Amino acid sequence: MKHLPKHLRPRWRYLAVGLEAWPETDLSRGPFQRELWYAAQNLLGDAGSADADLTVVRFAFGDGTGESVVRVRRGEVGRGRAALACVDAVDGDPVGVRVRGVSGTIRAGEERYLGGAGGFIDESHVELAASETTGRGRRRDDGAVDVAVGSTFVGATDAETSVPERSDPEHTDSNGHRDH
Amino acid sequence: MTDADASRSGEPSREAPPYEAAHAHPEGDATAGRLARTARRFGYGGLVVRTREAAFDADALRDRYGVDVVPAVEVVADEPSSASGAVGNFRPDFPLVLVRGGTDALNRFAVEQDRVDVLAAPLSGEGGFNHVLAKAAVEHGTRVEFDLGPALRASGGSRVRAIQGLRKLREIVDHYDAPYVVSARPSSHLELRSPRELVALGAELGFDDGRIHAGLAEWGRLAARNRERRSAEFISPGVRVDGCEENDR
Repeated sequence: MKHLPKHLRPRWRYLAVGLEAWPETDLSRGPFQRELWYAAQNLLGDAGSADADLTVVRFAFGDGTGESVVRVRRGEVGRGRAALACVDAVDGDPVGVRVRGVSGTIRAGEERYLGGAGGFIDESHVELAASETTGRGRRRDDGAVDVAVGSTFVGATDAETSVPERSDPEHTDSNGHRDH
Repeated sequence: MTDADASRSGEPSREAPPYEAAHAHPEGDATAGRLARTARRFGYGGLVVRTREAAFDADALRDRYGVDVVPAVEVVADEPSSASGAVGNFRPDFPLVLVRGGTDALNRFAVEQDRVDVLAAPLSGEGGFNHVLAKAAVEHGTRVEFDLGPALRASGGSRVRAIQGLRKLREIVDHYDAPYVVSARPSSHLELRSPRELVALGAELGFDDGRIHAGLAEWGRLAARNRERRSAEFISPGVRVDGCEENDR
């Protein structure tokens, strides 16, 4: 069909979204889009959901962090943001979402707000300070450590975990152990 | 000095930084440090840790992440009598003392106690909230918590009932101008949502502009007030020991 004349085309805004999950979560675009529509429909209803028209246009996820660009109709940014906030899990795996910024084009959103999400840089058996819990800890370059405790995870930071052979957690924090 | 303090605390709460009140490890799935780190990135100015058992150094976390970390205790009890004992025990040690509601008796206990700062999750169980409790909350300065958690994370009928409860609570609190706080009650960094997201959600649930932000900022005001009260110079509201008194002698 012939394209609409420019003044009749819908105007969009693009939400640059940061995603986070536990280390072994496998998150892909399809299920995320489904949860987003589901959340929008539950919060805004069919009519509101159709108005907001939330569509995942860019998606990348790996090693427990990811990024996405979600298209929303101009003027519905607030409602889109609210629906997005209600996405708490994808296929039962808990997911953290946060709108990092809103832009008028996909490219501007990606350039300004996305990029730089690091994967895991290190994996070792760690001890959680102050709770006598130990487990396999996966560490990111920004200092976050996800510790596997039993069948679940505990989110911690560099300063709160120590590798048993190294006694001082502060030391581990400043030097890192990238050279592993 | 005292006047300046008073006017500062009375300025529009939009200026004040938002706080979130979270459950930390071992009660939740993330340590206080991880929550503080995530809160900073999400634009919060502070984090209230509701978990008494959580082991952390609030000052160290504040220096490291630049968020104000407030140790708090959320008293969970079956009966007002046991809650009363717990409140008495923890009041001297924590800047913030919360009582989890959920039954009529506990809700009533919390709003009628000057020692209790926040009635948390008043509609979480069988409990109700009415005009009598709202008036008591005004009189005793107990903040009533709007729990956005179920609106974010529950589904189906329980979510509908929770949203109904929020609306009812909002109408009562608005009418009596009762003090309130807002929280998503996250129990891990993954459940944390940024202030702007909560404001957007609040707009969908019918909260007026600024109400959600004011409720998030209220945690910080409450913590600042209680810290001042706990400081050695404080005697009673309006009366404090000042440095110059010793010089006059």
